[in-house]
Amino acid sequence: MDEVRTMDEQKRNVSLNRPVERDTTQFIVTQLGGEQYGIDIKYISNIIRMSKITRVPRVPNYIKGVINVRGVVIPTISLRLKMGLPEDEVTKKTRIIILTLEQHESIGVLVDEVKEVVTLDEEHIERMGYEKDDKERYLSGVGKSDGKLISLLDITSVLAEVVDV
Amino acid sequence: MDTSQYLDIFLDESKEHLQNLSDQIMDLEQNPENMDTINEIFRAAHSLKGMAGTMGYKRMQTLTHDMENVFSEVRNGTFKVQPGMIDILFKSLDALEEYVNNIQQTTEEGTNDNQDLIDALNSILKNNGEVKLDDSAQSAETAPAQASTAEQPAQDEDATKEKWQKIKITDTEKMLIEKANSEGLKVYGVTVYVEEACVLKAARAFLVFKALEKLGEIIVSSPTAQDIEDEKFELTFSLIFISGGTADEIKEAVKSVSEIEEAYCSEYVIAAPAQPAEPEKPVESKPAEETVKAAPEAKAAPVPAAAPAAKPAPAAAPAQSSAKPAGKPVVNRTVRVDIEKLDNLMNLVSELIIAKNSLISATAADDGKGDTGSVNEQIEYLESVTTNLHESVMKVRMVPIESVVAKFPRMIRDLSKKLNKKMELYMTGEDTELDRTVVDEIGDPLMHMLRNSADHGLEPNDVRIANGKPEVGSIFLDAYQDGNNVVIEVRDDGGGINVEAVRNKAIERGTVTPEQAETMTEKEIIDLLFLPSFSTAKKVSDVSGRGVGLDVVKSKIESLSGEVEVKNRYGEGSSWIIRLPLTLAIIQALMVVIGDEKYAIALGSIQTIEDVLPEDIKLVQAKEVIHIRGTVIPIIRMDKVLDMPPKEGEDNKNKNLTVIIVKKGEKQAGLVVDELIGQQEVVIKSMGKYIKVPKMISGATILGNGEVALILDTNALI
Repeated sequence: MDEVRTMDEQKRNVSLNRPVERDTTQFIVTQLGGEQYGIDIKYISNIIRMSKITRVPRVPNYIKGVINVRGVVIPTISLRLKMGLPEDEVTKKTRIIILTLEQHESIGVLVDEVKEVVTLDEEHIERMGYEKDDKERYLSGVGKSDGKLISLLDITSVLAEVVDV
Repeated sequence: MDTSQYLDIFLDESKEHLQNLSDQIMDLEQNPENMDTINEIFRAAHSLKGMAGTMGYKRMQTLTHDMENVFSEVRNGTFKVQPGMIDILFKSLDALEEYVNNIQQTTEEGTNDNQDLIDALNSILKNNGEVKLDDSAQSAETAPAQASTAEQPAQDEDATKEKWQKIKITDTEKMLIEKANSEGLKVYGVTVYVEEACVLKAARAFLVFKALEKLGEIIVSSPTAQDIEDEKFELTFSLIFISGGTADEIKEAVKSVSEIEEAYCSEYVIAAPAQPAEPEKPVESKPAEETVKAAPEAKAAPVPAAAPAAKPAPAAAPAQSSAKPAGKPVVNRTVRVDIEKLDNLMNLVSELIIAKNSLISATAADDGKGDTGSVNEQIEYLESVTTNLHESVMKVRMVPIESVVAKFPRMIRDLSKKLNKKMELYMTGEDTELDRTVVDEIGDPLMHMLRNSADHGLEPNDVRIANGKPEVGSIFLDAYQDGNNVVIEVRDDGGGINVEAVRNKAIERGTVTPEQAETMTEKEIIDLLFLPSFSTAKKVSDVSGRGVGLDVVKSKIESLSGEVEVKNRYGEGSSWIIRLPLTLAIIQALMVVIGDEKYAIALGSIQTIEDVLPEDIKLVQAKEVIHIRGTVIPIIRMDKVLDMPPKEGEDNKNKNLTVIIVKKGEKQAGLVVDELIGQQEVVIKSMGKYIKVPKMISGATILGNGEVALILDTNALI
């Protein structure tokens, strides 16, 4: 829950800061395999601990099933499987990030760990070209923060494919 | 005046009135002499006119006004209802409906004056009645004051300041006036103007009433005394007043109250001097028994001016009293509730049920420790409360399908003319109730199926006669409840579906190969009709056969979790059966375990649960079946269907199987499950649109322990 609170604070900062510094975006940095991925904070409505996922039969393997988040049934996908990484190993650090793209329509994504929130200037983000290879097709760019490289996930394209299935 | 806040009410009520008008005019076509119907039509038309006027929809008002004029003359007996007239009236109704639809979409009524209809209506007045146009307008002007008991004249076209002339007089009041006249008292009409700056209008009005009561008796006021008290009036109010005093005395009494700008008072005459001919009254008394007519003439009028008023009163009274009980519409005691509020309520109930379920599982886990007896009692109480709450909320959401099917008789009438086929629609079960959301959606599919029956189903009249059938074709629409489902059946006694024609058409279109077609059963062929753009009608008519239809019907009904079934008797007719779930939100379900997962199965579709020995399972055409009480039922291994990993251990093979027999219409299937948990009320939750779930999963529900369980749609399995 404390994660949620910090996030709320961050969100508030976003709205306060936005008029002054227009070109910054906040990302939540997650661990996935050996790499760090950033998810634009504006899509994130909640981060919860691992809970029981109910399997749904006859769906692609990266759809892990459905979970109950405060009385709402939300489908959950594995980012690892979606990105072609090995199957998730559930640990104490595993989290489900609840993304909300449109009103009332949410989806959960499984990640190994949620690390921190970073604020990136547009100048610290390197946008991807149009030519993307398989692994890169869900990325919108690469950000640099404190000397680390963070792959920035293009959430809409990740989810667009889910809807198509 | 800002009327936007009334727009919703206006739309609702207009639709009600239009539907009412349509029903009544249909009725009138059958019984042109029925005075009750005519009165009812007049009332509805008048209310509609008043509402349109109040909302400022002038075109709608004008058209209704002209319709009302025609009804007024019919009511007066000036001329009789004729078939041509009915058609024009229906066209006018369509035009009015268009206005209402325009208003609903844009809040504007549109620019179509419908001058042709207005001309047609006026020519009815000119040609059939001997009434000149001016007179008819006049009579319509006075008619509202008489006929409508509920409506306020919408537009105050009268320039005169003596607004009391607009006050409506009921029979009892007429009697009072008559009595006063015979006692030598005078009856006055009073109109009081309150100053614009007046703050406490109601208080001032009250003082006026007090002052007048000293001089005589107030018999009626407009607005009503209650409305005046509630300050529901603009700057004027009017009343009819019996007094022994003179007009000036009354005027003085009123003006003695401060903040009264002006008062008008003059002697009350029912037939106002402006309308000496008064076509309305004498005609109104006509329907009364001729014998009664002698009575008023014998009566000597004490006050000459009041004579015309006193005269028709006794004669009109018996006529009206005989008409009233039948003519007065049964007022529907309805409350219009915003669907969103209901949804909120529904969500709360859902939460409550989930909370209750978790309480149950908590105590089950607690197992014997502490004082569980009273807790259980409380749970039982909670359970009965939530069940009742659920039922009553569901009931609020339930509306009779009448609102949808009521327009069909009219549609069939029009189709009958358009297709030049004689047909009759018989409807039963209009009071069958369905969830509001379902009722709103079901109209179009039903309409399409009726059109289908009328166009494709029924043969032309001459063919019918040649086949030894009654000339007039029959279409039936029956609705009834069947367990947790509502069934709506559209049936006709026409030719039925020509399966061979469909088969050939399918081959011709390349939908199926000739070889495939050979092996297809009749049912499979009929199912082809539900494919997109498949129409067997030889000629495409305005009514149907454009190939957009049955597939849309099917997908619409499936989106409502319903299904369509066709029963066909070639040469005798066909019936189309729609089966819809009663509710979409909460169901009674049987919880089962399959593999190590829990699933819910809607109780409504379950027939029996059987314990089956492994050796009782037979193979028929490589499919597993069981014999139960004389029927062969295919069984479905749920663990395979749900992609479960195969179970370990051989001993399972010899264990008895738990088989749940489910039905879909008349078909049955046995579902093999591992374990039964029990019956539970489950709240159906959507699974979101991000994943496409297989058809056999109809939704999800949240269990007491917070886990999600999937709901199996047995219909998709069979």
